[in-house]
Amino acid sequence: MIRWRDGLTQVRRYPSAVAGLLIIAMLIATAIYAVTAIPYSEAQKLWRGGDAWQDLPVNASPAWTDRLLGGDAPRTITVSSEDAPTERQDLGAARLETTTLEVDFPYDGFPSEINLFLEAEFEQGQPFTRVHWRTPDGEEIPIDARRVGERERFSISQDRQLESRLGRAPQVGLFTDAEPGTPDPTVRTGTYELVIETVHFEESARLHAELVVYGQVHGAFGTDHQRRDLAVALLWGTPVALAFGLLAAVGTTVTTLIIAATGVWYGGWVDATIQRLTEVNIILPLLPILVMIGTLYSTSIWLMLGVVVVLGIFSAGIKMYRSMLLPIREAPYIEAARAYGAGGGRIILRYMVPRILPVLIPTFVTLIPTYVFLEASLAVLGLGDPVLPTWGKVLHDAQAQSALYHGFYYWVLSPAALLMLTGLGFAMLGFALDRIFNPRLRNL
Amino acid sequence: MAGAPLLEIENLRLGYATERGTLWAVDGVNLEVRRNEALAVLGESGCGKSSLARTLLRTLPRNAHAPSGQMRLDGRDVLGLPEERFRREVRWVRIALVMQAAMNALNPVVRVGEQVAEPLRVHHRLGRREAHRRAGAAFEEVGIATDFLRRYPHELSGGMRQRAVLAMALVTEPDLVVLDEPTSALDVLTQASIMNVLKRIKAQRGVSFVLITHDIATSSELADRVALMYAGQVVETASAEAFFGHPAHPYSRLLMDSVPRLHQEQPPRAIPGRPPSLLEPPTGCRFAERCPKAYERCSEPPPEVAYDTRHRVRCWLHHRSGGGP
Amino acid sequence: MASAAPVSRTASLLRDLRHLGVFTAKRLIALLLTVLIGVYLTILIANMGGQVDELRMAQIQGEVAEQVRGDPAFQDLDSEEREELMQRQIDLEVERLRLDEPFIVRSFDYLRAAMTLDLGRAEQMHSDAGSRQVYNIIAERLPATLLLFGTANLLVFFVSVFAALSLSRRYGSRLDQTVIGLAPTSAAPAWFYGIFLILLLAFIFPLLPSGGMVAVPPPEDPWAYAASVIRHMALPVAAMFIAQIFISIYSWRTFFLIHSSEDYVEMARAKGLPDALVEQRYILRPTLSPIITSFLLMLIGLWSGAIILEQVFNWPGLGTLLFEAIGHRDTPVIIGSVVIFAYLLAVTVFLLDFLYAILDPRVRIDGGQG
Repeated sequence: MIRWRDGLTQVRRYPSAVAGLLIIAMLIATAIYAVTAIPYSEAQKLWRGGDAWQDLPVNASPAWTDRLLGGDAPRTITVSSEDAPTERQDLGAARLETTTLEVDFPYDGFPSEINLFLEAEFEQGQPFTRVHWRTPDGEEIPIDARRVGERERFSISQDRQLESRLGRAPQVGLFTDAEPGTPDPTVRTGTYELVIETVHFEESARLHAELVVYGQVHGAFGTDHQRRDLAVALLWGTPVALAFGLLAAVGTTVTTLIIAATGVWYGGWVDATIQRLTEVNIILPLLPILVMIGTLYSTSIWLMLGVVVVLGIFSAGIKMYRSMLLPIREAPYIEAARAYGAGGGRIILRYMVPRILPVLIPTFVTLIPTYVFLEASLAVLGLGDPVLPTWGKVLHDAQAQSALYHGFYYWVLSPAALLMLTGLGFAMLGFALDRIFNPRLRNL
Repeated sequence: MAGAPLLEIENLRLGYATERGTLWAVDGVNLEVRRNEALAVLGESGCGKSSLARTLLRTLPRNAHAPSGQMRLDGRDVLGLPEERFRREVRWVRIALVMQAAMNALNPVVRVGEQVAEPLRVHHRLGRREAHRRAGAAFEEVGIATDFLRRYPHELSGGMRQRAVLAMALVTEPDLVVLDEPTSALDVLTQASIMNVLKRIKAQRGVSFVLITHDIATSSELADRVALMYAGQVVETASAEAFFGHPAHPYSRLLMDSVPRLHQEQPPRAIPGRPPSLLEPPTGCRFAERCPKAYERCSEPPPEVAYDTRHRVRCWLHHRSGGGP
Repeated sequence: MASAAPVSRTASLLRDLRHLGVFTAKRLIALLLTVLIGVYLTILIANMGGQVDELRMAQIQGEVAEQVRGDPAFQDLDSEEREELMQRQIDLEVERLRLDEPFIVRSFDYLRAAMTLDLGRAEQMHSDAGSRQVYNIIAERLPATLLLFGTANLLVFFVSVFAALSLSRRYGSRLDQTVIGLAPTSAAPAWFYGIFLILLLAFIFPLLPSGGMVAVPPPEDPWAYAASVIRHMALPVAAMFIAQIFISIYSWRTFFLIHSSEDYVEMARAKGLPDALVEQRYILRPTLSPIITSFLLMLIGLWSGAIILEQVFNWPGLGTLLFEAIGHRDTPVIIGSVVIFAYLLAVTVFLLDFLYAILDPRVRIDGGQG
């Protein structure tokens, strides 16, 4: 049996192992970053969606893929009234405030959406606003006029009237000078302005406006159908995946080993029972049972982890450990231990288990990706943990929203790539370790 | 009793490629076996005798370098023969092998009779029935009931398995049978009976044997001649009488002294020390370190010296330049 | 010395058959027992060890209350009489559903039903033919799953064994190292590769269908139908193949390498047997039985991933059925599927054990220990 230290120094000889270690190190670093930069409760809150994401576009692809392909798709432009010039005009009983929001639009593509968020502060009288759009050529397009409540979200791009007036969807029509009816309009780049004229009826009334011209791309990983930045889920998926994989692998491997050793040591009916339990376990289909439990009880990730470990204890690995442990049982040092009075537990834990540990290492390492993918599988099926953002969740959402049909490849590719990377990292390391620690392979 | 030379080995060298360099298991061995002659190759574990056996059959593992030197059967070199010709003309046809630890020498999923008949069907192209008939005859010759032809190896006892492997070696009537530790895994009674079988076959069939073993006592039953190996080299070759009666090499003498005899006054003496590493063998005589008679000359490698008729020793003590310090 | 007449072939054949028969019988009984225990555990889990009874009670009470309150015939009763009526209804329901008996007793009945494949009625789903019997629903979907997985498994098995055999002869070569390097690709399950394959070969390069088992509408001509099924099978089978092939080849090749250093292999070469014979009889045959055991484990893994793979490819098999059942929270179908899965696994285990016994004579006689 090769010693630990010798084995570990030998890892250097295998490039695949080194590559695997690098990948794992990167993943761990990402996991640590994710957990510290976005604490658990915050991650949960973020992932529940809602207002935190209102400034992000829906289903935007990652910015860099577009740039890579030479495109010039628009990014989201947010202009706030805080930063924009405001003119005041006194009208006697009321006050007219004109805010001009400048939108510098240099892109080739049209925005995906245009929203105007209005927040009004007043006591009784709602302010009245009139909004119009000014193109770089000076053309003025009236958009809307209305009373404003405390919080309003005015979706310019979904305004039907505006659409029929422009002859096109507003997010296209407002940014092009092509005639209505011409196909394939091009973007008119330049500086646009959204002019908001507000009539306030109270001295202390204020209006805050935020214009969001949503782009088609966003960030490093894009967004999903609920405008959530996928980076959050992908980042946070890392520690979840690693933790689950590691805990499950450790849990099953160690318990299986102890059970196998117990069976070998006590022999007789203990051993026979363990064998029978193993056979029963082989027949119980893991994923379907997890599905059953997930549907009937809860999908909490700790419950799943627990079930996985319990069902993994009496796995087929027991047969392998048994055949390795049986010769040890007859070894002279075991007899010596019995002679000085060591009990079964002590012998199992101090003598039998440590002898096999080196051979376990590659098994353990190669097992981790299996559990990472298992967790992802559950999530893809819709049985993922309800609150945690995980890679599998992202995939599930993508599947549910038919991402591939709509061409949102990034939605599927990024979690898939991360899963694959994790799998490969551990698998490469595991295979190299197998060649180092497995005694039979060394003599080849 | 012995006839014309059957197998002649000259300056045979065999090395294994290891992480730490080449390990020379057989380093310049000269041997000769005549027809109807049994040669015992004795030596400690690790002296290279098993490698020698495998070289004779050319069944060397992947990490072995191609053997160099000469190996002649009836005067014709077979070491340089291409693999396919060696397979068809030499293996089992002229030379057969009885392996040590016959436990694992038989295919566990094929019936024993099949395995014994196999070489006949491959080499002599005999039909099924004829091959099995001869297999049955071989079984009888080694003393197993022919019922067992249709059994599987795990249904046979250790001693029976050894006999079966022996039958398998004899079935094609080869000229030479190499036996690698044929009795070390067996109890004393079975050992004796196997030895009797070998003696009988030698007398009846005129087969030559190369008996490779560390068991001096058992080999003395069968051997006509003895070759003693140490650290990859042959240190003494002699007739059995000469070797067991008055050995020339210091190592041989110490070995004889270490064998317990039934009626002797002095207790057997052990040989202190260990054999040298075969990765970097010592430049001079390899036994010098442990030899009670070593002197300055021993720092040079001793050549093989003729001590008597068909009795050679690799030792400076017996060199014509005047042995002794 | 006259030789004893060799034992006739028929006699030894009969002896072998007897051993085989005994072994098979023992294994069958053992497996049945195993399935029994497995199914019972499933029932326990599905019924939360009896707690589901409380939920049922609450449900019944709620339903009855609603019924009584809504029925105009009972409007005139005062509250006491209404209570009495509701209680009587509740008691009737309880008796009908046997909720008054302890769960343990009922569980054995469920067990008996499950073992005889009387899987009850679905709550919401029904088979394409309109039946509500869970058994029919499942039986309708089973052939599709068997077709897909059977094909993939057999393909992987044969290709990998023969590739591994030829690879073990080329130890250390470029090809060998490439295969070793590719072995970690098995870290990802089949459905994972399925997604990529669909992306690549059904969307980016629309060469193959992206899902389903057969073109819609299905062709009338049986040959065209078969061809359509094969076209639809291509991607899912390819996904399963990719996910398993490299690790299989790697495992068997390592296996063969280790076993080619066995003494009897050296003996075979020493005997001057041709390489092909040595490979087939001395390397392949003795190791076939352990290979089959490993194959079984691989199969089980593949089976378990069936749900998602079928879902990804929209393949109308047991997996998608289970997925739909999850969506509908249709408990009888879920439980029924798990039971059927268990049965399928048990049958597979049995078949492979049987094969094991035929190939390895040591197993027959020892009764299959370890």
